[in-house]
Amino acid sequence: MNIGKAKLQRNLFIAAFIIPTFLFFCVFTIYPLIQALYNSFFDWSGMSQHKDYVGLQNFKDIFDDPIMLTAIGNDYFLVIGKIIGIMAIATFFAVALTRLRLKGTAFFRSIFFIPNVLSAVVVGILWNFIYNPQIGFLNGFLSLFTSSKVEINWLGFESHTIWMLLPPAVWAGIGFYMILLIAAITSIPASLYEAADIEGAGQWHQFRHITLPLIWEQMKISVINIMMTTLNGSFVIVTIMTAGGPDNSTQVMGSYLYQQAFKQAHFGYGAAIGTVILITSLITTLLLQWLLRKEQVEVS
Amino acid sequence: MLQRTVHPVFKSIFYAFLVLWGISVIYPLFWTFTDSLKNNQQFYFNMPWSLPKFPLLWSNFEYVWTNYNFGKYFINSIAVTAGATVLGLVLAAMTAYTLARYKFFGSKVLYTVYISSMMVPFALALIPLFFLVNDLGLANNRFGLILVYASNTLAFGIFVLIGFFRTLPKELEEAGAIDGAGYFGTFFRIMLPLSRSGIISVGIINVLEIWNEYIVGTILVIDPTKYTLPIGLAAMQVEMQYKTEWGPLFAGLLFTIVPVLVVYIMAQRHIVSGLVAGAVK
Repeated sequence: MNIGKAKLQRNLFIAAFIIPTFLFFCVFTIYPLIQALYNSFFDWSGMSQHKDYVGLQNFKDIFDDPIMLTAIGNDYFLVIGKIIGIMAIATFFAVALTRLRLKGTAFFRSIFFIPNVLSAVVVGILWNFIYNPQIGFLNGFLSLFTSSKVEINWLGFESHTIWMLLPPAVWAGIGFYMILLIAAITSIPASLYEAADIEGAGQWHQFRHITLPLIWEQMKISVINIMMTTLNGSFVIVTIMTAGGPDNSTQVMGSYLYQQAFKQAHFGYGAAIGTVILITSLITTLLLQWLLRKEQVEVS
Repeated sequence: MLQRTVHPVFKSIFYAFLVLWGISVIYPLFWTFTDSLKNNQQFYFNMPWSLPKFPLLWSNFEYVWTNYNFGKYFINSIAVTAGATVLGLVLAAMTAYTLARYKFFGSKVLYTVYISSMMVPFALALIPLFFLVNDLGLANNRFGLILVYASNTLAFGIFVLIGFFRTLPKELEEAGAIDGAGYFGTFFRIMLPLSRSGIISVGIINVLEIWNEYIVGTILVIDPTKYTLPIGLAAMQVEMQYKTEWGPLFAGLLFTIVPVLVVYIMAQRHIVSGLVAGAVK
């Protein structure tokens, strides 16, 4: 009898602590995600009476839509550019701030993280000012070397404007990944480096054969994280800096979803774009995991 | 030992890169401040890096605070950030503790659901969320934002806090049981205070996330009096196409940046430890 009562008490406690959170999470996170997948099979302008089942038509339209193909291309351009840029610079700084016995490392570490606490909106506006054709830093700086005032419209090229969004994205991402890599490096046993020192291995050799293999797991996590946050979140920097323009050439999937759904009331099509973001994100995760696993075998 | 030291030339190259990157981070903050004290003329006839002329236009701050409603945005941001952080923390801590300490029917599945939700791009949820919040009558409403933001913080909070609760020794609960504290008493009077540092870490990271959030906010809030700071800033920047007011824009940027900088400076250690714990999956 007593055991039964104790068990009941335990179960009541678990229920009281688990169920409110889970119900809340179901309503505001899980339900929207599932509903989005469902909506992507409908032609839907936002009114419930005009919601027609169209099967896979939205997805067929996506692959016939030149803007969507540009958007996917831009997304992957940013993914690859950010992975290369952020990982190279963040690893460089992480090693410099841990292994090289430099002074002022704590100071640099705290400074470098600052862009990560800024809103992407703030980052976008700051870089808009750098690129501003009339009063921006970049043209002002270039004008120092020319006789006439430089007035390049950095965010208005007919093509390749997406390149201009890479520096802000990399700049804003370095600090976080540097911190992760620093944590990984400092957890490597010092004895490994001491042994390497005794054998006369130089800094580069130590990096290549001790640091890199032992932080590889963390680098893999970082690469996948960069990919996911880029596919999910480039929307903000694009919206703030170019609004997808000029002529939809800098559209990414997220910003195009926003435009289709909330500006043009193509909610079914927008939902299908969301589904494509999910699918590309999952496929790329698997792909990266496979690619980076192979690499790891070669390193060690 | 000779091998231990790095060649001085290399050392200076490394320092040069570190200093350059440091400048690239600090200088934008500096110019945001100096340019917030300029009038339009100075933007068009002087260089962007030139210092503001006297008299300094401190009035830009007042101007953006009242004429551009940044006063309202600021209060909205504070209300939404505080509400969502507290709600998200309470809900996450309860589940994290239970999952860390008790095995029950479906506990593994529940954990997997929370963790794998972090892998799903949230852009997917935007459209249904818009209709859900509208149907609940919570569009254009700070409370609606609080609910959505709180829900978005749950998975990360649960993940990190489970780690913290697991590090606490089991004997504490046994001691609590002997003292007759009961399940709830043990949680609120023993476990919660002991996991303080983890809860602070998660809380501060959530504060930064929510304060800076733009996508969800711009979809759920159309009424300008309910904007949070990032939405207000973005809207002001769009308006700049018709009337240029660079000084006030930078003043508005400062209203958004300074609070997070203060939080960062005060709580740097907590932020870093929380993020590191959250990223090591």
